[in-house]
Amino acid sequence: MKRRFLLVVSLVMVFALAVPLFAQSYDPMSFKSKKPMSQWKIALVPKDATNAWFVRMEVGVKQFAKDTGINAFQKGPAKTDAAMQAQVIEDLIAQGVDAICVVPVDPAALEPVLGLALSRGIVVIDHEGASQQNCLYDIEAFSNQGLGQTIMVELAKMMGEKGVYTTMVGNVTNASHNEWADAGVAYAKAHYPNMTLLAAEPRVEIMDNLDTAYERAKELFKKYPNLKGIFGTSSLSSPGVARAIEELGLKGKAFVTSVGLPNENKVYLKDGTLQSVLLWDPRDAGYAQLAMAVKILKGEKIENGCNLTAPGWTSMQFAPGSTKVLQGKGWITITKDNVDSFGF
Amino acid sequence: MTTTKTADSVRRGRSARDPNLLRLLVMLVFVFVLMTVLRPNQFATMADFNSMMRQFPEYGIMAIGISLTMITGGIDLGVVGTANLSAIVAAKFLIGTVPRGAAPAQVVPYLIIAVLLSLSVGLVCGAFAGMLISRFNIPAILATLGTQQLFTGIAIGITSGRPQSGLPLLYSRIGNMEFFRFVPISFVIFFVVAVGVGIMLSRTRFGTYMYMMGTNPRASRYAGLNNTSITLRTYMISGLLSSVAGLIMMARANSAKADYGAPYTLQCVLIAVLGGINPNGGFGTIGGVTMAILILQFLSSGLNMFNNISNFYRDVIWGGVLILVLVFNKLLSWREERRAVRKSMN
Repeated sequence: MKRRFLLVVSLVMVFALAVPLFAQSYDPMSFKSKKPMSQWKIALVPKDATNAWFVRMEVGVKQFAKDTGINAFQKGPAKTDAAMQAQVIEDLIAQGVDAICVVPVDPAALEPVLGLALSRGIVVIDHEGASQQNCLYDIEAFSNQGLGQTIMVELAKMMGEKGVYTTMVGNVTNASHNEWADAGVAYAKAHYPNMTLLAAEPRVEIMDNLDTAYERAKELFKKYPNLKGIFGTSSLSSPGVARAIEELGLKGKAFVTSVGLPNENKVYLKDGTLQSVLLWDPRDAGYAQLAMAVKILKGEKIENGCNLTAPGWTSMQFAPGSTKVLQGKGWITITKDNVDSFGF
Repeated sequence: MTTTKTADSVRRGRSARDPNLLRLLVMLVFVFVLMTVLRPNQFATMADFNSMMRQFPEYGIMAIGISLTMITGGIDLGVVGTANLSAIVAAKFLIGTVPRGAAPAQVVPYLIIAVLLSLSVGLVCGAFAGMLISRFNIPAILATLGTQQLFTGIAIGITSGRPQSGLPLLYSRIGNMEFFRFVPISFVIFFVVAVGVGIMLSRTRFGTYMYMMGTNPRASRYAGLNNTSITLRTYMISGLLSSVAGLIMMARANSAKADYGAPYTLQCVLIAVLGGINPNGGFGTIGGVTMAILILQFLSSGLNMFNNISNFYRDVIWGGVLILVLVFNKLLSWREERRAVRKSMN
């Protein structure tokens, strides 16, 4: 009895080993579809179907379906949860979709199910999941380098390319905020000789808090009367600093920009305290993911400079040292003129 | 039927002629036919069955755990927390001890220890909840709301909230394998659990005790049953089942994390109630629960086939189904009562 049990167990093990499931590498070119375009079915799986960010992404998905006539749709879990997201993908695989675009809640948790999708010949495209193994490509709206430079260009424009500025990060431990700031500072050094970084406090921390941003900014402008600009990163820096600028009567004399949400900055953009904030639009990210999937289904080779036909996503570049992660310039500048057009 | 229920009548109440089972079967067939008619090329295909069989075991096993506690008149809201905590302990052990690049044969003993470790964490978690309820007389709903928070908190604490990945490949291979390329191992585990628990409830003395205590705890105590021990054991079984579910989730996600499957808790309560488990205790069968699991999975996979139905409505539909079933059950029991009264008057 015992021996038979052991036999069964060892057979099971051998069987298990014979099933390849993970960490295979696939040639994207082999995913060219044999079906006519009109029969393609492409699904985009967001983190959460009900979150405003992804509701906006669905606008892009619907637009893409309308523009191309391809059956593309968004289908996500009702709550942000890795296990439920995997189940949605399971269902999509069973339905026989041709491509799955996914914004993973947790890339690690999706490896098995995405591995299964790839093994069934389904195209898998990730967005904001650069660590994903089981995908053909991961596309990102921007590189940290590129965004940092763009923030600096905007700030320099406001400051007339001269004067003292400092940088503000959400947390000094936040890797991407620091990369943006470093890239911005390096860009200023190379391109704007009349701009100088505040040596006493070159990197201010706001603890990811709107009130702290406001208080720190007030303090800075009082302490350093010649401070003219703040290079912000966190989306809380613009509204916080703008409030300080307004209260101190420095409108038109001191400037700030950062990543920012339209509604949070609307008042200040309209009254001129702020001139612009930067953002990437989830609508374009949705559109670009589908365009990427279509390229692979068509059997196109993906190279530097490939065009995903959404604003800012028209010239994708591979991340340094990667053959999988592509980065765009998918940010948009929000000013008083377009701030009302986003709906979030 | 106004007299106190004896073990015998309790047993009769859940015989094969149970009207609730029949109702569920009708509903199951209805959902199945509806989806098949609406989506003939997608639903009721081999690929779809295969996918559904991979999906429901993880929450199905937890739903069975919750159902057991509800039969005794309690509830276990800590199942998901227990599942994640026990999976994290197993994952931490595997990641910390298995040498990189070890041969499969070398890994096997580690896997066995990890599984045993996780099952014992499940038992301890269950025992802790059972202790709070039976010894300290804390209402089950509050006690297990607390344990859910506590277990999730411990899990977040020991992982800093990060997913534990980098498990040995063998674990997910075994956990994701399929017999005949169709029957996932997780489904086999679910099947064994459902049959095992079903037999325990209907054929063993302990099962009968659970129903008796659930029907009337005071009567069961006067009848000489040890309510404390029954409660403790019930929650330990629930904890054990949760850790089994945790191991399945760990294989499916190839990692463990403190908050995987957080929305499963309410889904499992929904399944239990839909499956005819009386929230007041004493009634319900595993057959009913299994049918409820299938109904929900059919609905869920079916809904995902409609590109136009946003998952916004998923909660609406599930909540609606739950309330309908509750109202329907209440109406039926009223009708039965009236009929019984009329019969006694004649």
